[in-house]
Amino acid sequence: MLKDITLGQYFPGNTVVHRLDPRTKIVLVLIYIVAMFIAESFASYALMLVVLASAILLSRIRLATVLKGVKPLILVIAITAFLNVFYTSGHILVEFWIFKITKEGIFNAIFMALRIIMLIMGTFMLTYTTSPIMLTVGIEQLLGPLKVIKVPVHELAMMMSMALRLIPTLIEETDKIMSAQKARGADFDTGNLVQKAKALLPILVPLFISAFRRADELAVAMESRCYHGGEGRTRLNVLTMGGRDYISFALAVAVLAGVITLAHFGL
Amino acid sequence: MLIMGDIPQKRKPHRKEKCMSKTPILKIENLTHVYSKGTPFELSALNGINLEIGRGEVIGIIGHTGSGKSTLIQHLNALIKPTDGKIYLDGKDINESKQSVKEARSRVGLVFQYPEYQLFEETVYKDIAFGPKNMRLTPDEIDVRVRASAQFVGIGEELLERSPFDLSGGQKRRIAIAGVIAMLPEVLVLDEPMAGLDPAGRREIMENLMGYHQETGNAMLIVTHSMEEAARYAQRMIVLEHGRVAMDGTPEQVFSREKELKEMGLAVPEMTELAEKLREYGVPLEGTIYTVEQMRDALLSLKGGLQDA
Repeated sequence: MLKDITLGQYFPGNTVVHRLDPRTKIVLVLIYIVAMFIAESFASYALMLVVLASAILLSRIRLATVLKGVKPLILVIAITAFLNVFYTSGHILVEFWIFKITKEGIFNAIFMALRIIMLIMGTFMLTYTTSPIMLTVGIEQLLGPLKVIKVPVHELAMMMSMALRLIPTLIEETDKIMSAQKARGADFDTGNLVQKAKALLPILVPLFISAFRRADELAVAMESRCYHGGEGRTRLNVLTMGGRDYISFALAVAVLAGVITLAHFGL
Repeated sequence: MLIMGDIPQKRKPHRKEKCMSKTPILKIENLTHVYSKGTPFELSALNGINLEIGRGEVIGIIGHTGSGKSTLIQHLNALIKPTDGKIYLDGKDINESKQSVKEARSRVGLVFQYPEYQLFEETVYKDIAFGPKNMRLTPDEIDVRVRASAQFVGIGEELLERSPFDLSGGQKRRIAIAGVIAMLPEVLVLDEPMAGLDPAGRREIMENLMGYHQETGNAMLIVTHSMEEAARYAQRMIVLEHGRVAMDGTPEQVFSREKELKEMGLAVPEMTELAEKLREYGVPLEGTIYTVEQMRDALLSLKGGLQDA
């Protein structure tokens, strides 16, 4: 059951989107986010929708999977849209008591909901098509220039990749411990809040013990392979930008320019 | 000396004579399980398993990594729900209701691989008492069960008030097994109970478990990679491959199909292999051989003939 969590999940594949350099993908997502916030009209939303749809189609990830990422936030989106309906002034359509529903309000609500959904789907496309390891390598390289001002970029990236690497392991471990305690008749679902919190003890204690043990073993394994931080460290797979990266950059800049132009003319 | 026979039991006592009863304690019907159905990670682990586990049987379950052993045993106490098929405990479907699941959990005891990683209490005593406590037994009953099961796995009284985390790996393993035995399950299922232990530790734990089996007459299912151990202790062996039952029979029957076992990537006991080699060289060894003792007897019986050869 815990295995069904999709947070940061990666779906392996070999499409153009998967093969893009992770740095490109991170920058593309940033441009996408900026463009989403600039977009204000039907035309620009249509353009962004085309961008998102082509990314999903190219990656061959099922639409249902991408939409699943939106599901946990449906309530937040609904509330945002709901508030927008009532708190926008303009051409009044319906009026009762202190509530006014305006034409602008309805449009605002739709756009706002669409914007949040498209933002989530767009960013999920990054984690769906990029393995956690590639993602951290990309972030490390993009943040590389910060080393000049003494930001421990390598250490941060190493911690991040380790945390990402250990999430599935910890989930698996939790599953295993839960099963083992259930086999001994443990009950995690019934009882009041205090009882439920107490019921977690048989999971948390072994989980922490094994996490510390694992961290210890990992540290020893790294040291025995002469790990001493990022200095002078090279990579087995060096990232290289290819033709598809430059083409997608060009397209992204074109889309951004298009959205800005559309916004400028108020379309 | 305390023995399990002294334990006051809520359920009907199941003694040796009941082992003779014909109805199986567990019946597995057309069991199928598919992991992560409907995702790119879909994996079919079990494909239509049919098995009957008799009362008081000792069964060795053998199979290559990924053959579905662990998935199968987790179905037996309803930790995993079947994708298709049914499991009957004493004739009742275990996934029928919440109540039946609960009943299955206490009547089918499951010891996972490396069970020492599930210890969590401050003292050995409290950890062993966790299962019986969840069964809502009285403190007196719990006390009797804790002490008896500690004795079964060879944990002395003096260790009961110690912290389980201060003890050695082998002792932790025993305590974890005692924690399941304390629930007095009619079927005890163990997933590689000897993994990672030294030979002496392996033998001791197996002897402890066999002692428990003889005392209570309860059925025991042992998942193992070791053909020698399976052959030595089990009356029946089940070989799994690709989520199907490939073989099911006595050790003699299973080991006589050496070639098929090897094709599955499984080894036969060293003595069986040695016997096979000797036969190839023309030594007329008789019968099925899979233990050192059998090899000795077979060799001794043709001692005269060997000298002539």
